[in-house]
Amino acid sequence: MNAAALLPPGDAALFAARLQMAFTLGFHVVLACLGVGLPVLLLVAEGRFLRTRDEGWRTLARRWSKAFGVLFAVGAVSGTVLSFEIGILWPRFVAVFGPVIGFPFTLEAFAFFLEAIFLGLYLYGWDRLTPQAHWWCGVPVAAAGLASAWFVVTANAWMNAPAGFRLDGDALADADPVAAMRNPAAGAQTTHMILAAYVVTGFLVASVYAAARLRGEERPYHRRARALGLAMGCLSAPAQILAGDFAARVVARTQPVKFAAMEGQFQTEARAPLRLGGIPDEERGETRFALEIPGALSWLAHRDADVPVRGLDSVPAAERPPIAIVHLAFQSMIASGVVLLALSAWAGWTWLRRRRIPESRAFARALLVAGPLSILATEAGWIVTEVGRQPWIVQGVMRTADAAAGSPRAGWILAATLAVYAVIGVGSFLALRRLARRPLPA
Amino acid sequence: MSPEVVVLGATLVALTLYALLGGADFGAGIWEFNTALHVSPRERALLRRAIGPVWEANHVWLIFVLVALFTAFPLAFAAVCRALWLPLLLGLLGIVFRGAAFAFRSVPSPDEPRPFHWETLFALASTAAPFFLGASAWAIASGRLDVDRSGGHGGDPLLGWLNPMSIFGAFFAVATCAYLAAVYLARDARREEGVELAELWRRRALVAGAWMGLLSAAGLALVATAAPVLWEGFRGRAAPVVLVSGLGGLSSLGFLLARRETAAVVGAATAVGGVVLGWGVAQYPAIVPPSLTVEGTKAPEAVLRPLAIGMAAGAALLVPSLGFLFYLFKGKRPAA
Repeated sequence: MNAAALLPPGDAALFAARLQMAFTLGFHVVLACLGVGLPVLLLVAEGRFLRTRDEGWRTLARRWSKAFGVLFAVGAVSGTVLSFEIGILWPRFVAVFGPVIGFPFTLEAFAFFLEAIFLGLYLYGWDRLTPQAHWWCGVPVAAAGLASAWFVVTANAWMNAPAGFRLDGDALADADPVAAMRNPAAGAQTTHMILAAYVVTGFLVASVYAAARLRGEERPYHRRARALGLAMGCLSAPAQILAGDFAARVVARTQPVKFAAMEGQFQTEARAPLRLGGIPDEERGETRFALEIPGALSWLAHRDADVPVRGLDSVPAAERPPIAIVHLAFQSMIASGVVLLALSAWAGWTWLRRRRIPESRAFARALLVAGPLSILATEAGWIVTEVGRQPWIVQGVMRTADAAAGSPRAGWILAATLAVYAVIGVGSFLALRRLARRPLPA
Repeated sequence: MSPEVVVLGATLVALTLYALLGGADFGAGIWEFNTALHVSPRERALLRRAIGPVWEANHVWLIFVLVALFTAFPLAFAAVCRALWLPLLLGLLGIVFRGAAFAFRSVPSPDEPRPFHWETLFALASTAAPFFLGASAWAIASGRLDVDRSGGHGGDPLLGWLNPMSIFGAFFAVATCAYLAAVYLARDARREEGVELAELWRRRALVAGAWMGLLSAAGLALVATAAPVLWEGFRGRAAPVVLVSGLGGLSSLGFLLARRETAAVVGAATAVGGVVLGWGVAQYPAIVPPSLTVEGTKAPEAVLRPLAIGMAAGAALLVPSLGFLFYLFKGKRPAA
């Protein structure tokens, strides 16, 4: 790996700020996924209760709602951290582009507001509202979670495919926040992320109850919980593969350099091969040890094997991202996605033949891995998005180095942040475990 | 009305509501700190019921203020971030630990029904957050931050925010939160818990209220000597707001003496709301005085207009939802 690309001399502060952003975003995105996905599972479980009057479903929804309360609280604070960080770490980015990018953030604040309000009603209203009214209080939580994700990822997509403004020297001109939100990357990226939220929630929940199955705890409660999670994961995983293909084609069009780094494509060439695995070697300018499928990359990117794919050689070295990281992260995401797709197929096949989910220990073991794997895929995807855009904070318009505060204390702030998040991470884990160990009603 | 005034007004209202609602939540934790964690289980149960359903929503006002400033007045936001990064990060640390600790301690384990470390952390963090956010707000109000018209900061990067006003502001903010919490909890206790707890919180509210009266007088004197421009605003345009605020504070003490806690809540909220609103009115059109004004930092018109419309539409969804939340948990009499 080319360490110089990671850490240009004298830019330790910038590197620390980037790591800080990466770490806090990476932490938050897991909670954000659950914030989008869990309310849907709550609605399904409580909806089953309303329809069947089977108390078991209500127990499930009530217990999950407690866990969701903890996760939401931690997600709210880790999200607050981000809203502070964006100004404190990247003040020049905010000073110049705040007006264009801030509009979706403001709308997101309203969505988050509604989510928090109705979550309060949902969590504390079990005994104060009629069952129907209570269920309906969950609907805005799920809808606002979805809307939040859409607004925030729209803002990120704008950084990848900036639109809706003109720069007059250093000053913003002709800003159009609505056009900015309709940037070319928004559709693909928001779809990909929202589906990721459902994949992560589904497989993570299934994973938790697969662990229970392997420990020998197998009451109807656990089976139902596992089935719900699995259903969400298996329904969204295939859709995610399609959305991922769509997203990759948008990247090929709007960020050809990022696309080249993802695929380890050094030379611009027609009939570009798709590489499975491999290690990009920046000094030799080639990706070694990869299994190559001739012409497949051209076809995947442009639906035509004869169309050339732009390589990293099309831009000077200073405008390339750290290639090895991007390629490796991209490959990890794809590999995880394929494994999750295979699991979905396994479950789907059993469902078609037997009208039930697979009950074997082997399947439970596979599910146990699926939860962490879905998180790995999401994190890897964000690494591709963010590291792949470097050295730009706004693609082709503003360099990350020019946006940074350049505080010499960035390293200290990073160290403190890691310590704080370690406490919160451990605290969340312990609280969730305590909740899970509370005895079930007989 | 021009869209920047609409957006700035909405931001100021949001900041006021954060002080009134989020501040009271901090205050509840400050009281645990004040009483060195000698809190009875009944007190704790009251506190959990009082802030549990609403604190997430109360917290969002801050996010709203941040993103509104970020979008509508980006230069002011960048300047504040550069000059106040340290107290803002320390306040953020308080917010993070407070939120997390409140969630974690609400899930006690069977062998440790009172998770001591989370309770300590909750109390400390609830005090630290308003302390540093208050210091930041008063540092801005002091007009002594060395920021220039392009949003740069020329002062000491570490301690440029420290001055008599910001130090006073830190303690003032903590006292304000404690006062609000005591008055609100006195009302909640009267309605839900019976005499004993209600009397405890009423006494605390009276003491805190008396302190607030002294601190407010001292604060005005400090502003008069240390921030002459702001003082001009208080004596001029903001004078009616200051007057109403003072009357609200006095009335809250009177109502507490008369055991009319619901009216005391209105008085206390008027007093504190008046301070925040009065500050905004007094320093208008400055956002970060003296150099950064609305005119000099505002986003382009093409952004402000949809933003103002978006805020109005958002408020149309928000107000009834929030009203229902507070009606259900604060207004409606609980089932006996």
